[in-house]
Amino acid sequence: MIAVSRTLSFTIYGCAFMVGGVLMGFEMLGSRYLFPYFGGGIGTWASLISTVLCALAIGYFAGSAIVNRHPSQRTIAVSILVAAAYLAFVPASADAVMSDILDRFGDGPSATLLASTALLLVPLTLLGTFSPIAVSILTRSADEAGRIAGLVYGVSTVGNVIGTLVTTFTLIPTIGSRAITYYFALTLACCAGILFLPTGGKNS
Amino acid sequence: MIIRSVIFGVLISVGLAAVCSAQDSRNLLESKESLYNNIYVYEQPPYRSMTFGHNRRIYTESMYNTGDDKDLPVEYTRFMTASLMYAKDVHAILEIGFGGGRTSWYLHRFLPNVPVTSVELDPTVLELAKKYFGIRDEANFQVVNRDGRIFLTESKEHYDVILIDAYRGPFVPFHLLTKEFYQIVKDHLAEGGVVAQNVEPSTMLFDSAVKTINAVFPNIDFYRADGNIVTVAYSGPPRDAEDLAAVARERDRTFGLRYTLQEMLTQRRHIQIEGGKVIDANAKVLTDDFAPVEALKSIERHNRKLP
Repeated sequence: MIAVSRTLSFTIYGCAFMVGGVLMGFEMLGSRYLFPYFGGGIGTWASLISTVLCALAIGYFAGSAIVNRHPSQRTIAVSILVAAAYLAFVPASADAVMSDILDRFGDGPSATLLASTALLLVPLTLLGTFSPIAVSILTRSADEAGRIAGLVYGVSTVGNVIGTLVTTFTLIPTIGSRAITYYFALTLACCAGILFLPTGGKNS
Repeated sequence: MIIRSVIFGVLISVGLAAVCSAQDSRNLLESKESLYNNIYVYEQPPYRSMTFGHNRRIYTESMYNTGDDKDLPVEYTRFMTASLMYAKDVHAILEIGFGGGRTSWYLHRFLPNVPVTSVELDPTVLELAKKYFGIRDEANFQVVNRDGRIFLTESKEHYDVILIDAYRGPFVPFHLLTKEFYQIVKDHLAEGGVVAQNVEPSTMLFDSAVKTINAVFPNIDFYRADGNIVTVAYSGPPRDAEDLAAVARERDRTFGLRYTLQEMLTQRRHIQIEGGKVIDANAKVLTDDFAPVEALKSIERHNRKLP
């Protein structure tokens, strides 16, 4: 058994934090994309939150399926890169998609769910695959699985908290939602880039 | 809508009196938790009030004089009707933000032949307005339970007067304060139509709101009422006082308005929006992309006195 290199664990935990931050930050941004079309009520929030949790559930399941085949850094790097690309398309296309949904489906629960699905489901599902694969990469023996799972989810959740607060109280009041979305895409692309770099000690 | 009105002062003094006498003369008729707010309906004869919020953070939304159907006890709501003298015609009126419904009911009573449509987001507010605020189903008076912006986006109607009063307690729905929103409003104005809006002027949100309205409507007149300011915005050439006075005189007579347009006209103010003397030069136009309403609302206005 080869111990996981410092560089590798630093990379993975760092990315867990950043991905967690972007994930919740983008959920908060989702409200800015949806409210002009579907109103700012509790129904819109319920749609956003349930879509995010759905995406995470699918992402976790998908991640655990991937773990059985090829749990490599490359796999999560590709997921994150695709999510980044998706985010990069959001600012230019969101208005057309939202108004189309409003025209066709009105503003009821099905419309707000559809809108938040269109906005959030794909990128957040891809980001959701990160944690299970990360745990699998960092785990070298069965008895450290719980410790590592706890650490990965802990770091990622701290990222969630920071992402929520910074997006809401710092980013939205200072730069526009579209610009924030581009920054998020850029952040994810950087994470993917770092994960593509060889760090050694990948497999036991 | 935050009303720091005389009435609010009355409620506070009532509260103080209650402490002194250990007996609250203000009687809670009903409290109800809605999807959006905690709503309280109080009675202190002959007035009924609808308030949102908890404890000290209470915002009076609407006031109804049970003994006088045509009374508008809250001063700024009277100035919302100043918009009547600006509109070229008065064939259809829209109100966004119904609350207790007194403003639109006043208009309905004095202009019974003009269709008045009100849009209210909160179904519980509508329910309580019908239960306690004398709102009835009548011809030419329609209330729609809908988000104001969604209603307008989907509507194919045009209105001569659009009244916007959609603040909910401390919360400002950002999507009803952006340039895109006012563009939608403008698209639903009939020729010579006008928009009146209640704006609370103590924070930097006021400066941004004025600039945003001004980005879509070249002319804005201001009316001060208690702690609030009513803006009346319109397109086309600026209206002079004589022209408005003539319309006011004629419509006061035609409609028999209790709060006369002629008297309101004397309160008309003009604010220099450019130049940064009154309105902060750095205040930004709010857009769907950038509308930090909560942050702006937390900054008090300083050193820029309103005329």
